[in-house]
Formats: sequence, C-alpha cells, structure tokens
Amino acid sequence: MVMEKEKGSELVSLCIEAACASRESVEKWRMQRRSLGRLPAHLADSLLRRLIRRRLLFPSLLEVFKYNVEAIDLRGENSVDAEWMAYLGAFRCLFSLNIADCHRVTSSALWALTGMTCLKELDLSRCLKVTDAGIKHLVSISTLEKLSLSETGVTENGIALLSSLKILSVLDLGGLPVTDLVLIALQVLTKLEYLDLWGSRISNSGVAVLQMFPRLSFLNLAWTSVTKMPNISSLECLNLSNCTINSMLEGNEDKAPLAKISLSGSTFMNEAEAFLYIETSFLSFLDVSNSSLKRFSFLSQMKALEHLNVSSSTMGDDTVEMVACIGANLRNLNLSDTRVSSAGVGILAGHLPNLEILSLSGTSIDDYAISYISTMPSLKVIDLSNTEIKGFIQQVGAETDFVLSLTALQSLSHLERLNLEQTQVRDATICPLSTFKELSHLSLRSASLTDLSLDHLSSLSKLTSLCVRDAVLTNSGLGSFKPPATLKLLDLHGGWLLTEDAILQFCKMHPQIEVMHELIIISPSDQIGSNRPSPSKICLRASLVNKKQDQIPISEYFLDQRLKYDREELLALQYSSLYVALPQDSDVQDVLGSR
Amino acid sequence: MKKEDTVKLISAEGFEFVIDKEAAMVSQTIRNMLTSPGSFAEREHGEVTFPEISTTILEKICQYFYWSLQYASLHWHETNLIMIKESRFTYSSSLALASKSRGKETDFHIEPELTLELMMAANYLHT
Repeated sequence: MVMEKEKGSELVSLCIEAACASRESVEKWRMQRRSLGRLPAHLADSLLRRLIRRRLLFPSLLEVFKYNVEAIDLRGENSVDAEWMAYLGAFRCLFSLNIADCHRVTSSALWALTGMTCLKELDLSRCLKVTDAGIKHLVSISTLEKLSLSETGVTENGIALLSSLKILSVLDLGGLPVTDLVLIALQVLTKLEYLDLWGSRISNSGVAVLQMFPRLSFLNLAWTSVTKMPNISSLECLNLSNCTINSMLEGNEDKAPLAKISLSGSTFMNEAEAFLYIETSFLSFLDVSNSSLKRFSFLSQMKALEHLNVSSSTMGDDTVEMVACIGANLRNLNLSDTRVSSAGVGILAGHLPNLEILSLSGTSIDDYAISYISTMPSLKVIDLSNTEIKGFIQQVGAETDFVLSLTALQSLSHLERLNLEQTQVRDATICPLSTFKELSHLSLRSASLTDLSLDHLSSLSKLTSLCVRDAVLTNSGLGSFKPPATLKLLDLHGGWLLTEDAILQFCKMHPQIEVMHELIIISPSDQIGSNRPSPSKICLRASLVNKKQDQIPISEYFLDQRLKYDREELLALQYSSLYVALPQDSDVQDVLGSR
Repeated sequence: MKKEDTVKLISAEGFEFVIDKEAAMVSQTIRNMLTSPGSFAEREHGEVTFPEISTTILEKICQYFYWSLQYASLHWHETNLIMIKESRFTYSSSLALASKSRGKETDFHIEPELTLELMMAANYLHT
C-alpha cells in the first residue's frame, strides 16, 4: 500500500483497489481491451501486482496484460504451471520475471519463454523441477542480464550452456554442483559483476579462474572447500562463510576495494595473516560471527567499519577494547552470545557515538551495563534479551534502597526498539519504560509480569508493537488495558490465564490491533487477507532469510527498513486497511456503529 | 460563486463542468496549469480541455475532487506533510476515526467498469 501510494496518486490506488475488489469486478473490466491496451506500464504493473496479492489472477486473465506489463513477481505462487508460462511467454515488453519457489514450473514449461526479446531478469530459484533441459530453452533469450538458478535441478552440463548468454551480469548458481571445469567454461561471461557459488564444488584451483572476470564485484563462496582466495581487484563484497580459510586476497598490487566481508562460521588456519592483505579503507561491513577468531587485533585497521557482527565468537571483556578503538563510525554492533559482561560494555562506553543498533542478547551483562549503554546517544534498537538484567540495582550498604536501572535509558531520545525478553524484569522495575517517548517496539517475556505491566505501558504514545509473552495476564487485566492508539500488534503468546472469549472481546474492542495468542487462529487483519501476504508466503520469506544468512546478512538492513516508517505513515496504513476491512467484517462495523 | 473562484473542465465530448478552483486544485496537474507562471490559456480563461477524458470519467473525477476535499484530505494529504503540529495531527486523526465510524458512506465508490479509464485519468491528473 505504501509502495503504491508513493508511486501513484491516491485515486489511482483507489481504482486499483476497486478493480481488484472481487472476481465479479474483474469480470467487469477484463473485456475492455482498448483501455487495457492503453494502460501505461506502471499502472498495469501495479494492477497485476494487486491481482496476484488478492489471489484473483488466473492464467487466461494474464493475456489482457501482454502488451504493457514489464515486471511480474509470482514468487511462491504454487498454482503457476506450464499454462501460466504459456501466457507469460507471449508478453511483449516483459523485462523482469520472478517465478522463484513456483514448484510446478518444469523444464518443459520454460519452453514458452524461448525467443522472448525483452526479458532481462529471470529468477527461477528453488524451482526444483527445472533441469538442464530447461536451460536449453533459456539460452535462446540472448537479452538475459540477470539469472537466478539457485537450488534448481540443473547440473554441471546445464550450467556450461550458460556461457552463450554473453551479457549476463548477475548469475546466482547457489547450491548447484558447479565444478572447476564448468567455471572455466563460464570465463567468456566477462560482464559478470555478481556471482553466487555457495555450496558449489569449486576448489582452490578453480577459484583462480575468478580473476578472469574483470568486473566481478560480488562473490559468494560460502560452504565451499576453498581455502585460498586469490586477489580479485574489482571485488567489493565477499562471502566466505563456513569455509576454512588459509589466506584471503593475497597479493600486493591492485588491492580490492572491499566494502563487505562475511566470514560467519569460518575457521581460520592462521589468524594473524588472514586479514593481512585486505584493503581496509572502504570496509564498512564485517561479519565474523561463529568464527574461530580469537585475538581480533585485525580490527584496529578497520576504521571505516559501520556494521560489525561478532556474535557467538570468542570476543570477551579482554578483547572488546579492539571494538572500542574503531567505534567512531559503528552503527550496528552485534555482541550477542559472547563472553562480554557489564565490565566489557563499560569499556565501550563513550566510544560509540553513532551506534544505532546494539545486541547484547545472551551475554552475562547485568543492570550495571544499562548505565554504560545510556552513554551511546544514537541508539535506536537495543536487544538485551536473555541476560541477567533485573531492572533494579541494590545500593551498596542500604538494604532497602533500590535504583531502577532502566531509568538510565531515558536519555536515549531515539530509542525505538527494546527487547527485554527472558530477563528478570518485574512489573515494578519496568515502570521507567512508560516515559520512553519514541519507543515503537517493545518485547517482554517473563513469568513475573502481570496485569500491572500492561498498565504501565499504555502511556507509550508511539508504541506500534508490544510483545508480553509468558506473562500472568488475567482476563480482567486485558479487558481494562487501554492500548496506545498507535498499537498495531499485540503478542500475548504463553498468557495461560487468558481465555478465548476475553481475547476475542479485546479484538472486537480494538479492531486495528492484531492479537497473537495460542487460542486465536484468525486475527482481524487476516480476515482482510489482502494487505499482507498469505501465511504460506510469510513462512516462505522467513525461510528465505534463513537461507540467505550465509550470503548477505540482509536481516539487519531489514530492521532499518522497518524503522523508516514514521507515525503518520503507519496511521495512514492503519486507516487504509480499515477501508478494506469494513465491508467484510460485520463485527467491526457493529462495534463502530454503536459508538 | 465568483468566476475567479471556479474553473471549467471540458470533456472529450465537449461537456463542461464548472467546479470550485479549490476542488480542481486537488489535481497536481491542474494546479500546475492554473498556477504556473507564463500565460497559459488555461490560466487566463479558467478553462481546461481534456480531449482524452470522456464525460463519464470527468464527472467521476469532479466528484472525487470534492470527496477528497471533504474526507480524504484529513488523513491523506495532511499526514503527508512533514512539519505537522502534534495537536493538529491528533485533531485530524480523530476526525478520520469519526468519519470511519460512519462506515461505508464515506468511501469513494468506484464502479468496477470505470476503474481502468479512471485510473488512467487519475494518473494523468496526478490526483
């Protein structure tokens, strides 16, 4: 909805909404061939996108779009099969087609795409039934620039055929059996900028061939047996996650202008020399989570780092000094599941002026760390889950004198997200949270929390998402809870005292809030069914993120994206979804009508 | 109604719609035509001809202009302003809520058969 609004005018989105209201409305306009033919490409694209999301698209309806649609995203649509492909093959100006995770697409279905003249981007990721025979159809599309074949049924013979797609710049061969020999066959693809070879059978001798690609800037060799990575002078992003690394980018001439390196889960044979040849002046992203690194002395060279992930590594209070040294530019720091304690956080205090995202989840920090955290003025997101935090500090000497430690966070004027799940906070100690002005996401999970907590939190004027899991909430407590007007999501999982009736009553009272609980299967916004992807798609996306984690850590950026919506936009969204909800949801109407 | 405060919109078939300037300004395109410097015929005569837009669609567009002034502006246009005052915002959002509670009558109804043509006209008019 936001995307459509940004792109077009309000009336255009109202029209698209009306056109996709039901199967009957589609029937009303689908015969207006002349109008359809005149539809500008961006309108046709949005209309088609809406039809897909509303699940109103069927193969023969595709035909009316064949003269103007330029981009189609059918990712994860299980119904897409050879019949759909037959219609799609006739699209005259289609330049981008995404049919990733469409499991019914077979090699022979791809025959329909042969000879397409505009197609530049094709995503067939995880179409398991696409094999070498399918590649034979694809090689006739000489305009292809971006091709994703990860986790398909293609073998090395099929991959070798790709060498005839001369202008390919992006090639994703993740999870395919690419061998050294095949890579030599692909050498002719001199325009390649992005090459994904995770899980392939490339060895140290094959990897030398990569130097022959003059424009290669992104390379993923995660989960391969490569141990010696040669210098590639154009490289900007490198992923060697879960590899055993002997040397990286050895050579003294034309150092690669690396911006991102992911080494998650990697084992280093010689830590002292591993980073010796890396040009660090552009390096802004480093992921060494789960790696075997011990000394971290290499960090001192990486002054430009903005994003550092050392989670589940051997980082501790003795080595955290290294992070403090390069803290000036850091925006995102992940220290979760490390040996860093409150004292370690103290070492970082004052050295991280630009830090926006901090994770200390699963560390042994206690309430003393909170005052150190409050010295990081730019923080927007803090994850303190699974720690020893109690929410108060007992003053030495006085038995009854408690200081509420969370009060210290009040000085963080940008704080939007706070995670305190699995800590020892109680009703009384989360009191200070009620004064956090910018807080939009709060997660709590503890069996010591009761109705009183809900009371404290109702004054948070920007809260959009609240998670109070495993708490001892009662029906009457939920009934008297006055949620902030901005609240969109309330997660009450594990609230074992709540009954279905009480939760449903709450849903009726607050139709704009999606409530999550074991007893609730359908939430109000699921009934709309239009504004959010289907459950199957959500799972799918989650699994995609998991899979991609060893490629580019997208998830962190995903977080940033969510933050960019401000209160106004969220409110606009809230009402726009109600528009759709009202005619369908009589319960909601009753409640609203009786007001 | 003074003549300066109105605009005449002329459809492809020659039908004329005289509407408030304020309403017509909901369209960014018409706003540009009427306010941009230089001597556009549109600006001088307060008349705009749309040879591409049929009477039915133009009528719907005019209806939308007024609807937009009355309801939509409160929670669409206003909220798009970045420099909005807090108090004003709560006022507008509570109004939006109020209009919501009246239910369907505040929706702008679009007949499905008009959607395609109306969409194109709206796109052209930036409204």
